[in-house]
Amino acid sequence: MADTIVRMGEWAVSANPDDSLLTIGLGSCIGLVLVDRVKQVAGLAHVMLPQARPGQAADLPLEARGKFGDLAVDALLEAVLGAGARRLGLEVAIVGGAHMFNFGAAQLDVGARNEAAVRDGLAAARLSVKAAATGGNKGRTVRVHVGEGRVVVRAAQGADEVLMKGVG
Amino acid sequence: MSAKYTEQQLDALRELANIGSGTAGTALSSILGRPVDISVPSVGAMEVEDAVEAVGDPSQEVRATLVPIKGDLQGSALLIYPPDDAATLCGMLGVEPDGEDGQSALAEIGNILCASYLMALGQMLGMEIEPSPPETAWDLLGAIVATVLLGQGESEGALLLDSDLVVEGESCGLSFLLLPAGRGIAELLERLGL
Repeated sequence: MADTIVRMGEWAVSANPDDSLLTIGLGSCIGLVLVDRVKQVAGLAHVMLPQARPGQAADLPLEARGKFGDLAVDALLEAVLGAGARRLGLEVAIVGGAHMFNFGAAQLDVGARNEAAVRDGLAAARLSVKAAATGGNKGRTVRVHVGEGRVVVRAAQGADEVLMKGVG
Repeated sequence: MSAKYTEQQLDALRELANIGSGTAGTALSSILGRPVDISVPSVGAMEVEDAVEAVGDPSQEVRATLVPIKGDLQGSALLIYPPDDAATLCGMLGVEPDGEDGQSALAEIGNILCASYLMALGQMLGMEIEPSPPETAWDLLGAIVATVLLGQGESEGALLLDSDLVVEGESCGLSFLLLPAGRGIAELLERLGL
């Protein structure tokens, strides 16, 4: 069983049922999960920021598109479909987007903007969110078990919670 | 990050961090009534993604005090207590680390240390540096550092000034991070004449 750690701004896809995809310490970042339980394919993107700068998107290779909310959905969708997932079999979970600090004043809330950007991307791709653990003020860790299609989330000082049940 | 810093600039920033953390160490020493050692600060300019891992194991749950900085310098000061060190520190103060007293003691120490660090910087550079009210978190290190950097608008790169304060004779160390925001970095270097 192999753990693939998805670092900030990266994404990973696996079609190996023994794999887990893991992202540690999502604060204002969003973990975007796409799973096809039947085909046993899963993808996880670690989104850092809501939007790429104007003109930046065109130069970004597919591997770097997980960084931005407005690009991550299409990039991860393309990757999971390429790994054998079926579009109609996809289930979507989103995790993160916490508001951990106020920064002393009314600062733009990156967490909420990240979540909104990812949700916009999902809506544009006509994918509905099946499960979400977002907002609040705690960081989260998310683990996706590829074989079962199970998504487990743990908030700081919390216990593991099953966000999306797998098969069986 | 597109802007690269020269070795001379990084040395000057390291010296700044040294003076700031020296002052913070003196403050901590007088709170605890014990000597406090200061490490040579490490200074680095890197991508936000790498900065998060440079600070430490992102999955570690730590206590942290954040002091956002306003005024001539924009950015954040962040004091990080690894869990065992927070407990040791609370023990020295005679408070329960997990109780309310422990938490408020750590927050207050964080506030005092950040304020002393920033005051030393302000005096040295002749800048108006205004610490905002402190905020505390007990969370995953990776989530804290990423959220602070992204929250202050660092999408391109981060400058990390990292100092460790160690209470002599105890296994108790704190990490002190100064994270200037984009314009803050240029402002700092300009004041240093570099």
